[in-house]
Amino acid sequence: MQDKLTTLEAAVREHVHDGDVVALQNMATQAAPMATVREIIRQEKRDLGLVVLVGGIAVDWLAAAGCLNRLIGAAVSMEQFGLCQRYRAAVESQQIRVEELSETALNSRLGAAARNLPFLPTRGLIGTDLIDVASDNLVVIDDPFEGIPVVACRRLDPDVALVHAHRADRFGNVQIEPTAQWPDLGIMPKAARKVIVTAEEIVDTDVLRRNPDRTVLPGFIVNAVVEVPYGAHPTSFNPNYGYDSTMHLEWVGAARDDAATEKFMQDHIYGPADQAAYLDSTGGAERLISVIGWEK
Amino acid sequence: MTPELNDTIAGWENSPASTDWTIDELMIARLADCFVDGDQACNGMASFIPVSAFDLARHTHAPELVWLAGALGLEPRPTKVPASTLEAPLWRDAVMYMEQYGDFWNYALNGRWLQKFCVGAAQLDKFGNANNSVIGGTYHQPKVRLPGTAGMGDMGSIGKQLYYWNPNHNPRALVDKVDFVSCAGYLGGGDERASLGLEGGPQLVITNLAVLDFHPESRHLRIESVHPGVSVDDVQAATGFELLLPDGEVPTTPIPTEAQVSRIRTFDPDEMRKREFRSR
Repeated sequence: MQDKLTTLEAAVREHVHDGDVVALQNMATQAAPMATVREIIRQEKRDLGLVVLVGGIAVDWLAAAGCLNRLIGAAVSMEQFGLCQRYRAAVESQQIRVEELSETALNSRLGAAARNLPFLPTRGLIGTDLIDVASDNLVVIDDPFEGIPVVACRRLDPDVALVHAHRADRFGNVQIEPTAQWPDLGIMPKAARKVIVTAEEIVDTDVLRRNPDRTVLPGFIVNAVVEVPYGAHPTSFNPNYGYDSTMHLEWVGAARDDAATEKFMQDHIYGPADQAAYLDSTGGAERLISVIGWEK
Repeated sequence: MTPELNDTIAGWENSPASTDWTIDELMIARLADCFVDGDQACNGMASFIPVSAFDLARHTHAPELVWLAGALGLEPRPTKVPASTLEAPLWRDAVMYMEQYGDFWNYALNGRWLQKFCVGAAQLDKFGNANNSVIGGTYHQPKVRLPGTAGMGDMGSIGKQLYYWNPNHNPRALVDKVDFVSCAGYLGGGDERASLGLEGGPQLVITNLAVLDFHPESRHLRIESVHPGVSVDDVQAATGFELLLPDGEVPTTPIPTEAQVSRIRTFDPDEMRKREFRSR
């Protein structure tokens, strides 16, 4: 097996390029590879197309930093923290073009890429306006056998998928604890040309052997693996830690004006040299342990 | 049934009408009525009223109602309604985590299970089409970019019975025609939905003022009942188009019972359900 262990700086420099289509693990306030997102912002990647099922604060930070020019996904929302205002403003001023897909249409586009098919069909979307506004990639076709028409969803091949996991070995074999699983792990890494994994901890392969049923990605599809404790912060990473309400609220406040946004990004994204410094910028690991446990 | 999971509240059938109910509780009780034994229910984001309705149904008339919290956590036992309906505390103690890509959609798409779905959307029109995508302007240059279709772009087209809830009934939310169809209702009305081969469709709209249903032929929104203290004129004034009326006198939505109100407050002590109301 090939050693894939590297640094975030090197992983992003080597595997994320201007103009890339980037598939991001995320579900509103859950499980985004936020350390990787911050590194992309620090390296000033431009014209990225972001693929996300339901994007949260990661989308807003990337939009605020000017990294995105298109988004392909089902929704963008920080749930109880509200709409992503920087993303919203960028869409309304046509800096980001949105291709909005239903969940099954997104899954079908990614599934087609994973299986090397031109498209996969779904029965979702029929009757909606979403087909017309994405007509390059969604076409209603007749069932060639019998029955009702379906929507052909054109294959979508992300250049790179970003994943955060509970543990991995240095060869990129990825394990997760029992938790919610979105298409992030189910299909995105399999559709993408490259995969960058961050993990809460890098372990000996022998540790993975104890619970092979928890291994969800084989190392041979992974290009880079990096140890990043609290790598999903401020989103949740269950069962290890919950979302950081304080930081979400701080961002929501800052996003209201340019100067405060700039200061927030300086304090938490551009300024901190590494993950330890980033965690310090949020009040330190002690605060994290006290505030981001599961709600009882 | 599994008594350990869904203890039915003793004597719920004969519980008297509550004397201190609030509008959120009335909406939850009415929505709970729509879910019965044999159904499976799932919830998405910002769905405090649906999750409270599922819980209420499970503790009263529908102890066998199956709940899939966050569309992934089977038969969970949350200690209370948490601050998010799409975060781990809601699916505490789940029997199963249903992986979204490979698993959940197989059950949701095949037409046998999860046949009812609750939809919250920014705009709803007279034929039950919903919009959570864009308001004003054009699709690629909207005046307001909304969160997006999420699951509703599927759920409207795959034969589900749709139950809309809206705690903020006003003419901008209930409109003649949605700016954009993110969720297929009855489209242009009449048999247009059926002519595309789509089964199911919108059943009810439960707002803070009234319960609305759909005329069986025209598929146009119609008042089913008005809430206590609300007049038909009030409802009409808060609606962006002319609602149909039922034959005869317009009924009043039933007041929730003491048992119902008690269960709702026990399950949601932090009153997350009230967060969906813009003013209260």
